[in-house]
Amino acid sequence: MSERILNPDLGFVKEVIKSGGESLKKCYQCATCSVVCNVTPDENPFPRKEMIQAQWGLKDELFRNPDIWLCHQCSDCTAYCPRGAKPGEVLNAIRKMSLQEFSVPGFLARMVNQPVFLLLLLAVPLAALLASGAGHVPAGPVEFGKPGGFLFSLKYIDPLFTSVAVLALLSLFLGIRKYWSAMSEGQSSSGKSPATDISLGTAIKETVKEILAHKRFDKCETTKGRSTAHKLVFYSFIGLFITTVLAFGKVILEPNGGYLAYLGHPVNVSASLLTGLVVVYKIIGNISAAALIIGILLVMGNRMKNAKKAGLGSYYDWLFISLVAGLGITGLLAELLRVGNMPAAYPVYVVHLCFVFFLFAYAPFSKMAHMFYRATAMVFEKKSGKA
Amino acid sequence: MAEQCILVIGGGISGLTAAIEAAEAGYDVCIVEKNPYLGGRVAQLNKYFPKLCPPVCGLEINYRRIKENAKVKFYTMAQVESVTAREGSYDVTVKVAPRYINDRCVSCDACAQACPAERQDDFNFGMSKTTAAYLPFDQAYPMRYVIDAANCKDGCMQKCKEACKYGAVELDMKPETVKINASAIVVATGWDPYDISKADNLGMGKVKNVITNMMMERLAAPNGPTAGRILRPSDGKEPKKVAFVQCAGSRDENHLSYCSYICCMASLKQTTYLKEQYPDATADIFYIDIRTPGRYEKFYWKVRDMEGVSFTKGKVARVENTEGDDVLVTLEDVLSGKKVRMAFDMVVLAAGMQSATRQNPLQLGINYTAEGMIVPSSLKPGIYAVGSSKSPVDVAKSVQDATGAALRSIQSAIKLLPAGGIR
Repeated sequence: MSERILNPDLGFVKEVIKSGGESLKKCYQCATCSVVCNVTPDENPFPRKEMIQAQWGLKDELFRNPDIWLCHQCSDCTAYCPRGAKPGEVLNAIRKMSLQEFSVPGFLARMVNQPVFLLLLLAVPLAALLASGAGHVPAGPVEFGKPGGFLFSLKYIDPLFTSVAVLALLSLFLGIRKYWSAMSEGQSSSGKSPATDISLGTAIKETVKEILAHKRFDKCETTKGRSTAHKLVFYSFIGLFITTVLAFGKVILEPNGGYLAYLGHPVNVSASLLTGLVVVYKIIGNISAAALIIGILLVMGNRMKNAKKAGLGSYYDWLFISLVAGLGITGLLAELLRVGNMPAAYPVYVVHLCFVFFLFAYAPFSKMAHMFYRATAMVFEKKSGKA
Repeated sequence: MAEQCILVIGGGISGLTAAIEAAEAGYDVCIVEKNPYLGGRVAQLNKYFPKLCPPVCGLEINYRRIKENAKVKFYTMAQVESVTAREGSYDVTVKVAPRYINDRCVSCDACAQACPAERQDDFNFGMSKTTAAYLPFDQAYPMRYVIDAANCKDGCMQKCKEACKYGAVELDMKPETVKINASAIVVATGWDPYDISKADNLGMGKVKNVITNMMMERLAAPNGPTAGRILRPSDGKEPKKVAFVQCAGSRDENHLSYCSYICCMASLKQTTYLKEQYPDATADIFYIDIRTPGRYEKFYWKVRDMEGVSFTKGKVARVENTEGDDVLVTLEDVLSGKKVRMAFDMVVLAAGMQSATRQNPLQLGINYTAEGMIVPSSLKPGIYAVGSSKSPVDVAKSVQDATGAALRSIQSAIKLLPAGGIR
């Protein structure tokens, strides 16, 4: 092997320790972790090498590698670690830091992951909603979506949320692109030629299949129940996404007060089609909401139950979990209050919208981004023939 | 009338050394040993490191010194029941379990041949059986049979009695209580092999040809279950490809947080057993760090340079059954960064040592570490702990420690060290 000069970044080591990897330095490189891990590849397995890279402050080596995201934090490594070095927690801290490294703009990632900024970040959607007229409670029966209802009286709500969603997607795209080129660079500097026989399309298709089936998650042993909990939350998010798209479609198409009608281009949609649409998205929405709440409560329960073996998690984890739980609970509560025709539904709905905003506007910087980065790492792994 | 003596709890190499050294200096000594024989763990070893001589030689010398010295009294199958301090000495009650065979025994084996019942041979870690009337091992001291009453019921003992021409079998032997007034107490309770089946990824008790290092000692010992031939347990095949898994339970917070000190040397030593019997065999030693303290390093170099012996840095963290009763081990070779799966004929787990006081703490007002080792600074005046009751040690260090404790206990006996004196 040729001579190589390592440049340890001590600031980075301290940052890992501060970010939930306080056990990092306990590692003595026995490699038990790499063996008990069921999701690691045989060639250059993780997380033993990540532990020494982190101890030595080799930031680039860590960030330019798909491995930190291929880790699903099963915590089998942490349970079997003879030193209590908690590789699972250390890698989680490094993942959080890699979000700060790649996401655009980076300062938002630092803000999202520091408790001091929480209120400020929450104040943004609240102020926007109030400015949009959310402080005004319409008279008459409690209604959100119907023409003339609450949502329709919020003047800027749809343009605001839509543009925030577009910005978030753009930011995610830029972050992921940075991560991808960093990984490519890392691979070419390590001298291993990438396998070329798998196309990007195939790699993406295979990754999506794998994620839908939660194949890797199912290999976790120490934290077995996590796969079920995660599946519930994951599929409920898909369900809620479909619900949102359908509901948005209805709001656009509605001949009586819909956007197109408002803009002077009403479309001729039959009333029965619209009613059918409403029935379908209400069913999907309610099932998804129930699955979301059950799933996220299971996530919380699992975390508490496994805290001793796997660690409780950090602010980065709990912020995300709390947001998802808050989203589900306020959503359901707002619905119940509306059905009960109680005006308290309005403020609850505003809180719900704040959660929605927080989750999606800050998605590129919070743990919400894990799905994109992990999926990217999986695609890269397949494309480079590492798997 | 209570026996006046220096009490030595434990008749292994440490206890024997302390007792004999004090007795040869002219002091009365009582040894209390829970096994039916003296010699402890050392009696189970095939060879000592680094000289590779059989421990029975050393033990025999000690047995002779005891035989020739009227000042040493010993109780086998005995355990300390209670200890109370009195005027610079200790009143000790010892319970002696019935052996059912008295001192008329000439070790003719007639009772064993007549005995219809069997028992697991714990001296060989269950790798063989003996009849319920048995001699613990061929050079046992005292050279006297024992009847395992729990495994010899319903007229079984009667058959042993009838077979004995010397009237040595006593069916109505009862537990006895012995009173001792001890001027000093030497705690030499020794160690137990750590129960490595608790590490559920290392296969002990689940994977057929996984054994512990102490089992390897018995397999290689001429008086062991295979008469000294190293054969793997499942089918008696000669193992030609053997793995040694270091730190099996040691340096592991989930098991024993400390280094057991002797396991690296034990595996290196056992590699020489293997190579001696099967020169074409290969030994793979998987380690985190090879720890051969002090001059033992030279022994490491010697074994390292043997043909067919290889060392791989990386802890084995998965052990499974594979075809033909072979054993599959998985590790990450840390130096190459690759996950390695290798099949072996047999796998030896270098299981650590834990102080016997972890399972059976003594009621002496002692503090123990979280893992049951005696904290020496917590010992009361006149009580001394030696050898592996305090920390994992090898035989040589135990003997040195015990010799020092003999002097300390003599000082206590002649009241040079009053209450609160130096410990």
